[in-house]
Amino acid sequence: MDIIVIVLLIIGLVFFTGGAVGILRFPDFYSRLHPAGKMDTMGSLFMLIALALFNLHHFTLATLLTSLKLIVIVVFVFLSSPTAIHGIVDAGVRAGLTPWTKGEKRR
Amino acid sequence: MKILGLIIAVLTGTLLIYTTSDFPSWGDPSSPASTHLSPHYIEKTLEETSVPNIVTAVLADYRGYDTMFETTVIFGAGVACFFLLRVPRRKEPVERLYRHTLTGMTLRIKDLDEVPENLDEFERIDTLWAPYDLIIKTVCRLLIPFIQLFALYVIAHGHHSPGGGFQGGVILGASFILLAVSYDLRTAKERLREKLGGILCAVGVLIYAGTGALCLLLGLNFLDYSALASILHVDPITARSHGILIVEIGVGLAVMATMIWIYDNISSEGKYEEGL
Repeated sequence: MDIIVIVLLIIGLVFFTGGAVGILRFPDFYSRLHPAGKMDTMGSLFMLIALALFNLHHFTLATLLTSLKLIVIVVFVFLSSPTAIHGIVDAGVRAGLTPWTKGEKRR
Repeated sequence: MKILGLIIAVLTGTLLIYTTSDFPSWGDPSSPASTHLSPHYIEKTLEETSVPNIVTAVLADYRGYDTMFETTVIFGAGVACFFLLRVPRRKEPVERLYRHTLTGMTLRIKDLDEVPENLDEFERIDTLWAPYDLIIKTVCRLLIPFIQLFALYVIAHGHHSPGGGFQGGVILGASFILLAVSYDLRTAKERLREKLGGILCAVGVLIYAGTGALCLLLGLNFLDYSALASILHVDPITARSHGILIVEIGVGLAVMATMIWIYDNISSEGKYEEGL
């Protein structure tokens, strides 16, 4: 059980680190949003599942309820975070921001 | 006139800063607040009000008078926004855009009497119209009920966990604003009309003040909820807990309605015709 929790936490951390580096390093608005969405969705997905599993060490009704609440948070983040990113990208396209192409300057 | 205002402001500020030197220093353990008040709240809250969350008990019971006027301030903010922004009558002739859903053709209608004949095939759209976005609308429709459920949970669970009327009211208002953002203002207004919103705003404050006045009528102090024991058929200590819940519901209503009210007025520039 502990090994699964550790592995899931590390996968989540990899996503968070990659997302943080990506937000800083990518060249333009759209490509920066991509790691932002990944980080929120996949990173917190793996980490919260790991925490929900870790919480079940003492298996009682109370800990089961807490874990269920964590899973519910996962579901809602999984739904709302990509939608928010989609909405932001949509607004960018409608406002007329052109995507970055190779050879251009960072912006 | 401006100079006079400046002088008054500076004088008041100086006086206020001067008086702060008389305050006990921050976190002073020998100040009256730390020696008498805080220990009393920490030790006696559970047996006096049967509310496990001390913050809620202090906010809505011991300091209930203060919170009542906080709610009134929020109500006042909503009313001020309404009076500043709301445009009562249309000055320029109204133009409405109707889009034929099958062909995508848009009609611009200037005279209000001539609406399109077959309205089933037409939908009214904003001037700055954005195409139908399936993803955002579906997800928002899916999430809004859960957001509202969570808001009610936060209001009702304020006795036991962080939360209460203000927080729950804000979440409840945000769910309506999310509806207005993901669809448009008219859809949100069909769910909660402007008049109903204004009335709810006032009703929230009225519930709070009315509970206080009811306690006064029943022979105890203003906002002393133990007076409600005879009405609710419980002992006075549980009555204080129930009284807190009643005023939290009032606060939640007032905050929710004010949030929606302010958002609608700002996003539609007070016209309520179109907007996000």
